[in-house]
Amino acid sequence: MTDGHPILEIDHVSRSYAENGKEFRVLEDISFQVHDRDFTCIVGPSGCGKSTLLREIVGLDRPTSGRILFDGEPVRAEDTRVSMVFQSFALFPWLTVTQNVQLGLEAHKVPEEERQSKAKKYIEAVGLAGFENAYPRELSGGMKQRVGIARALVMDPLLLCMDEPFSALDALTAQNLRDEILALWTNPDLPPSAVLMVTHSIDEAVYLADRVVALSARPGRIVKVEQIDLPRPRNRKEPEFYGWVDEIYSLIV
Amino acid sequence: MPNSPQVNEGGKSLADMHPIAKVSVGQILGLVEAIDEVGGSADVATISQEVEMDIDRLGPIIDAAELLGFVKVSEGDLTITDLSRKVLHAGVRERKKIIRDIIDDVPIFKEVMAMARAAGRPLSRDEVLGAIAAQVGTHNAADLFNALVYWGRYTELVSYDSESEELTLRAPSP
Ligand SMILES: Nc1ncnc2c1ncn2[C@@H]1O[C@H](COP(=O)(O)OP(=O)(O)OP(=O)(O)O)[C@@H](O)[C@H]1O
Ligand SMILES: [Mg+2]
Repeated sequence: MTDGHPILEIDHVSRSYAENGKEFRVLEDISFQVHDRDFTCIVGPSGCGKSTLLREIVGLDRPTSGRILFDGEPVRAEDTRVSMVFQSFALFPWLTVTQNVQLGLEAHKVPEEERQSKAKKYIEAVGLAGFENAYPRELSGGMKQRVGIARALVMDPLLLCMDEPFSALDALTAQNLRDEILALWTNPDLPPSAVLMVTHSIDEAVYLADRVVALSARPGRIVKVEQIDLPRPRNRKEPEFYGWVDEIYSLIV
Repeated sequence: MPNSPQVNEGGKSLADMHPIAKVSVGQILGLVEAIDEVGGSADVATISQEVEMDIDRLGPIIDAAELLGFVKVSEGDLTITDLSRKVLHAGVRERKKIIRDIIDDVPIFKEVMAMARAAGRPLSRDEVLGAIAAQVGTHNAADLFNALVYWGRYTELVSYDSESEELTLRAPSP
């Protein structure tokens, strides 16, 4: 971990919106790197610009100034090496699990046979085998998010970006999914290689991440990048664990 | 009685799928993980606080975990079993197999499986609902049907098409 080379470089990124002729600053001078094989979490108070930053990283929004480089080049939304999982799942209700998972492959003109076999592989990897022809309305929140994850992984991304993927789920379902994301990330035979996740839960960040990027209240600035070197699996009951939680908490409030 | 209900160590039985009808595999595993994290045993109040879920919501999950044999409940204390330790460390497929072996034994599930096998064709939702209602009454039939579909899909023993409302047997992937 963290011995990988940088795959994503956020270089002096700022973002502001114009509001009634005035400048509304959301992000200010953000610089950090995400290394290959790293699990990075971005934490910060509500409204500090976490989602904005992640949207810029996946190419859905542009910084007002600064650059974001993926593998040395400016990010593009169509680059399949970066994929995104949304808090609200963002599934198409009229499509089955398999159809939702295949969407990105269709958009990239992947042949039918390969689409089928890839969808099957990732549906199985996220524990959804058996639910191939179910519709989103038949699924629990946790299972909907599994579809969201399978849909992102089917593109074989190097970097998986997730914006508060577990915050709409009950605590038990969320914990189970956290462990499964860790298992996927640790599995060398399956993507993703690196994960970048936004969360407002410091506890969750310390449980998951190698590195935690702590942002201040809006306008979001980097307060600190912490390297969490606790061995895995981590136990929230251990003093070292809540030592980290307390430390990051004191940084951002 | 065509089938004797499965009885686990606690002497409780999973005669029908009612106790597991509104609970997901993820929640049960989440509960097992939470108990494991505090050392494998804890009282209900501690766990409730730990997972930030009130007893009303946690109750059905605990019941389901107990009936599946993953948790022992005694005087308000929850203890995880060897089976749940096995499940925690199992991969996706192995985990599924363990749960399949349990669900496969639930009488009402067995019955519907036998019915589908005998029919040799997909069963309609109404047929299955009728069979369930004959056993447990119409009151809970719809919930049980949904549970049967959920656990049947999870264990890959059943597939269900909610458009045609047809239930089919399937062979689990190896
Ligand atoms: N398109 C936009 N136009 C104007 N303001 C915007 C736009 N998008 C975001 N904002 C503002 O930028 C700020 C940061 O929003 P953002 O959603 O990135 O925060 P966040 O850290 O993700 O918050 P939360 O924790 O609530 O998810 C907010 O004040 C929001 O209102
Ligand atoms: Mg946000």
